[in-house]
Amino acid sequence: MSRPPLQESPLDPITIEIVASAFRSVVDETFIALMKSAYSTNIKERHDHSTAICDRDGRLIVQADMSLPIHIASMTGLMETILSKYRLEDIAEGDVFVANDPHVAGGTHLPDINYAAPLFLGDELIGFVCNIAHHADIGGMAPGSMAGGMSEIYQEGLRIPLVRLFRKGELQQDLMDLFLLNARIPDERRGDHFAQIAACRLGVRRVKEIGERYGVATIRQVFDELVTRTMARMREAIAGVPDGTYRFEDVMDDDGVATVDIPIRLAITISGDRAVFDWRGSSPQVSGNINVPINATKAAVAYGLRALLDPEIPNNQGILDCCELVTDPGSIVDCRAPAPVAARAHTSQRLIDIIIGAFAAAIPERAVGASNGANTTAVFSGKDPRTGRDYLYFETLGGGFGGRNDRDGKDGVQVHITNTSNLPIEAIETEYPLRVVSYGFVEDSGGAGRHRGGGGLRRVIQPIGHDCLFNGAGERFRNAPWGIFGGGPGRPGRYVLEGEDGETILDVKPSGVTVGPDERVVIETPGSGGYGAPAERDPASLRDDLVSGKYSRTYLETHYPAAKLSD
Amino acid sequence: MQADDWLVGVDVGGTFTDFYAFDRASGTVALHKTSSTPDNAADAIVSGLRELAEKTGFPLSAVRNLAHGTTVATNALIQRRGARVAVVTTENFRDLVEIGRQIRPKLYDLKADHPMPLAPREMRFEVRERIGAAGEVVTPLDEASVEAVIEKLKACKAEAVAIAFLFSYLNPAHEEAVKARIAAALPEIAISTSSEVQPEFREYERSSTTLLNAYLQPAFSHYMTTLKDALAEMSPGATVGINQSSGGLMSVDKARDFPIRTALSGPAAGAMGAIHTARLSGRADIVTLDMGGTSADVALIRNLETKLSFDRDVAGFPVRMPMVDINTVGAGGGSLAWFDRDGLVKVGPVSAGAVPGPACYGRGGTEPTVTDANVVLGRLSGHGLLGGSMTLDVEASRRAVGKIAESLGFTVERTAKGILDIVSANMVRAIRAISVERGHDPREFVLMPFGGAGPLHAEGCARALGIKEIIIPYSPGILCAQGLLVADRAESFVRSGRLALAEENASELADLVASMMTEAEGWWEAESVEPKARSRKLAIDMRYASQNYELQIGVDELPSVDELRRLFFAAHEQAYGFHNPDDPVDVMAVRLTALGRLPSPGTPPIGAGASATPQPRTHRPVWFDGEAAIETPIYDRASFAPGTRIEGPAVIDQFDATSLLFPKDVARVDDALNIIITRGDAS
Repeated sequence: MSRPPLQESPLDPITIEIVASAFRSVVDETFIALMKSAYSTNIKERHDHSTAICDRDGRLIVQADMSLPIHIASMTGLMETILSKYRLEDIAEGDVFVANDPHVAGGTHLPDINYAAPLFLGDELIGFVCNIAHHADIGGMAPGSMAGGMSEIYQEGLRIPLVRLFRKGELQQDLMDLFLLNARIPDERRGDHFAQIAACRLGVRRVKEIGERYGVATIRQVFDELVTRTMARMREAIAGVPDGTYRFEDVMDDDGVATVDIPIRLAITISGDRAVFDWRGSSPQVSGNINVPINATKAAVAYGLRALLDPEIPNNQGILDCCELVTDPGSIVDCRAPAPVAARAHTSQRLIDIIIGAFAAAIPERAVGASNGANTTAVFSGKDPRTGRDYLYFETLGGGFGGRNDRDGKDGVQVHITNTSNLPIEAIETEYPLRVVSYGFVEDSGGAGRHRGGGGLRRVIQPIGHDCLFNGAGERFRNAPWGIFGGGPGRPGRYVLEGEDGETILDVKPSGVTVGPDERVVIETPGSGGYGAPAERDPASLRDDLVSGKYSRTYLETHYPAAKLSD
Repeated sequence: MQADDWLVGVDVGGTFTDFYAFDRASGTVALHKTSSTPDNAADAIVSGLRELAEKTGFPLSAVRNLAHGTTVATNALIQRRGARVAVVTTENFRDLVEIGRQIRPKLYDLKADHPMPLAPREMRFEVRERIGAAGEVVTPLDEASVEAVIEKLKACKAEAVAIAFLFSYLNPAHEEAVKARIAAALPEIAISTSSEVQPEFREYERSSTTLLNAYLQPAFSHYMTTLKDALAEMSPGATVGINQSSGGLMSVDKARDFPIRTALSGPAAGAMGAIHTARLSGRADIVTLDMGGTSADVALIRNLETKLSFDRDVAGFPVRMPMVDINTVGAGGGSLAWFDRDGLVKVGPVSAGAVPGPACYGRGGTEPTVTDANVVLGRLSGHGLLGGSMTLDVEASRRAVGKIAESLGFTVERTAKGILDIVSANMVRAIRAISVERGHDPREFVLMPFGGAGPLHAEGCARALGIKEIIIPYSPGILCAQGLLVADRAESFVRSGRLALAEENASELADLVASMMTEAEGWWEAESVEPKARSRKLAIDMRYASQNYELQIGVDELPSVDELRRLFFAAHEQAYGFHNPDDPVDVMAVRLTALGRLPSPGTPPIGAGASATPQPRTHRPVWFDGEAAIETPIYDRASFAPGTRIEGPAVIDQFDATSLLFPKDVARVDDALNIIITRGDAS
């Protein structure tokens, strides 16, 4: 369907800013509404969700401020699927589309359920409101739908191709029944679905209000202007990077099934205002669930460009249109069905480390040491002895953020592609029959350097009065996060089972570990790499490292041999 | 009534200390402004009070009530001028206050971090003890570890200490025991416990609030003691109340123990003043817009009550407490207009501040600000601010705004209009967040602008929100000080936990409320609140068992379980547009606020020479749109008597603010001397 021509005179920058402000307000409002009304811990407490508005060509126009970077490309992936499956004239007011599949519907893993509702002003379709939320379970072999050890996507949960859950405002109950039957704890999942549906409706209502004030023509022009201006702004930022080809490579620890030390290679070529990200030569897709769909690779590139070149740029299609990717189809960064993908976020973190590593030579003042490079995951499940009901506790832990050119890295924080909150200890122990025995920083875990890397986190958890199952997914447990410009590596992470008879080091991606009431699981997340030579670290900072107890005297004497440490 | 019966509101800001005094015997109002004294804020209060009494001619002994709002705590936090503070935590959890929620403040900024905790790691000590999720003792308090901590507190020369243990909101015994031991061993040290500061679920937010409180205690205590002693001498008959963030007064002794409760003291007073003004004007539902030099605070008032919120960042740290639900946005008279890298025009949040200030101040500023845009459009007079004591350089404003105009190819006036439209859009977003996003339609509310810049920007916000009526209070520039006069004394009680909303828990719920009522009785007695001045508010926080965010339902008396469920469903429907009738609901907190009403001031007196048919002082061209100027009458607000009716366009000047009346708008002055504007284009 061809578009009617746009109005002749371009809108002025003041009008665009005012109308854009109204749209930003809508996506922020729907983000908060979804967070507050949802049932999944992932959404309500950890904010693993995003909201956006796309235009009717499927271009991302505006995304909520707190939206997750990895969701940016799934939004447009869903749009592409809708626009290729349906003719615009077959889309009606009151329809709601749902999908999650990474191989046929633009998603990035199955627990992220993508919703979209068309926006009509009068009879004219002007775009879609979208939201994505990570449900605590989508079925499959293991509770939480995120466990390692599976080799096909069919084992990971319910695959939802693009379906129309509402037709002209009417719920297709049989589809909802299908969704709920295939998820654990369906009552909770129903709550999440309704929260997403309500967020769609809220967005539609708000955009209509804006439409009544400004009219279709102005709104469509604003959509165009936002994308065009963002793209021009990003191109200008790219042009500021010296021309050349910048290479970097790194390895993933373990796919949780068969393969370890999986290589990923990148060559970035900057010429003028274009940047081409060539991932060829990276490992073929693997049996385990750390494969990355192309949309998630694109999201990682978009994140890297924004974080390194222009952190304040608005998130919209203009950035995605600057992401030029070259990949080998069927590789770990562009996987194909039936590759399992549940833990793709670990690999996304590595892709970003690699992007930063490659850019470091070109823009050293903006690069940072490798961060904890993981979404260190802990899933505890079992039957609550207090109630006899099944429970599932899922969490990802932060770790070190790499050293920077003007300051140390940050200790114990979520990095790059993720920014989900921890669950309060008082919430964990109130909701689940678990005790958090300790929670703090891992000693000696940030890499040495002029500016040291941030340290990792340690959390110790013990089941109360019952046996539970532990599943985990770690990264940078074998391959330490590297430092740059002479900075040292951070300490790798690990999972340990502590019992009466001592401790057992668990796998990088442990699956189905039984934990008794006298045992505890120790989760230690990786630290991060330092920035610059350790010999250049200033003595006052070294003294803080010692006095704070974050670093032992032995560690400091080993890594900063020239320094004199007084008490 | 007595011969002299003065009520005094004192609002201490960073720059000025404002006084609004009212004599109930004669109806006299007296205003005063003096420079703040940051080293000890009490000095400016004492000297200002003397000046006020002298210039107005009343004896200080005639002051019956003194209500005080203060930004001292907030400024001390922002400037990191608090005590050397330590933290005592449950064993294995000293890093909790540094880890926080393990998130970054800005997703894409590789160099932005949350601030480090006020207590460095070497001043965070652990005690062996543990309370479990049912309030049970898992590990008894280990006395030896307490003694060890006391030695460390001595060694590190801590001036204050925060004690924050896990699950202390369910069982405070260990915190209390440790507090008693430290107090006995180190009587000089200030102590805060999390179970006293805010006994609520979520350990990080509770610990952070407690740490901030302890950090503020020593300096605030000095300030309160100075104030109490000076007033005991000057005005022995006066009752002194300190305004809390939730909008009620507490005693000086409470304030000494809980300084963090004053974090939003000033803005909360503004909301109180707005409620008072609304009541006098017979309106119940108000959106407030308090716009100053660098930022604007907005709040929603429904049925003459503010909403409370419980989570807020203060100086970069989370604070969990009942606070008036105020949303702050970086939009003020000094906000700068600038081009972003994509060519769009932005206004704020960066401000020109007081120095160099807007270009028109002639203090070296050359960048365009919101105030410059108002000067370009003739909305602010070149003859100046503060009753003519400061003239404005119109040409400097034109040059500053002209820089943007040139890039846009617009006239200077059209550009100035655009700058004001953008700043309005920013404030509209902030207002939407506290109205639309809470399920309230702003079109059903009245807009009340105050602060120095509020009345200049009310029309733009009202138009964008579809608001039909604007009320400009009698004295927009010192509404906060005025609001203090009408604040009640208040104390909040909370029981936090988790109780299924079910018939079998009805008696437990009733017992909770009854035990809180007993506490409230104790507070009324301790504060000598007379029985006829007592009242209370009850609120229940509920959520679906699977949710994490509560909705608060206000009730007069504890209703039946069925009724509570019905009220929750209605609130969920309003907030989120749906509810799930079959899903289990939990009660997460019961809150009781005990109030002690204080005598209320009446309406301000009508000035000499005021008339219901005032004449304009002068005329000048004013641009209401970006296209053309209109020759516009300029009025002095002091010339307005009740019954005045003016059709727009008009500019209304007064000592502390300038108000605009747009063409087709109609202004009326009511008996309380508030200006009520009916917007012309409102349908």
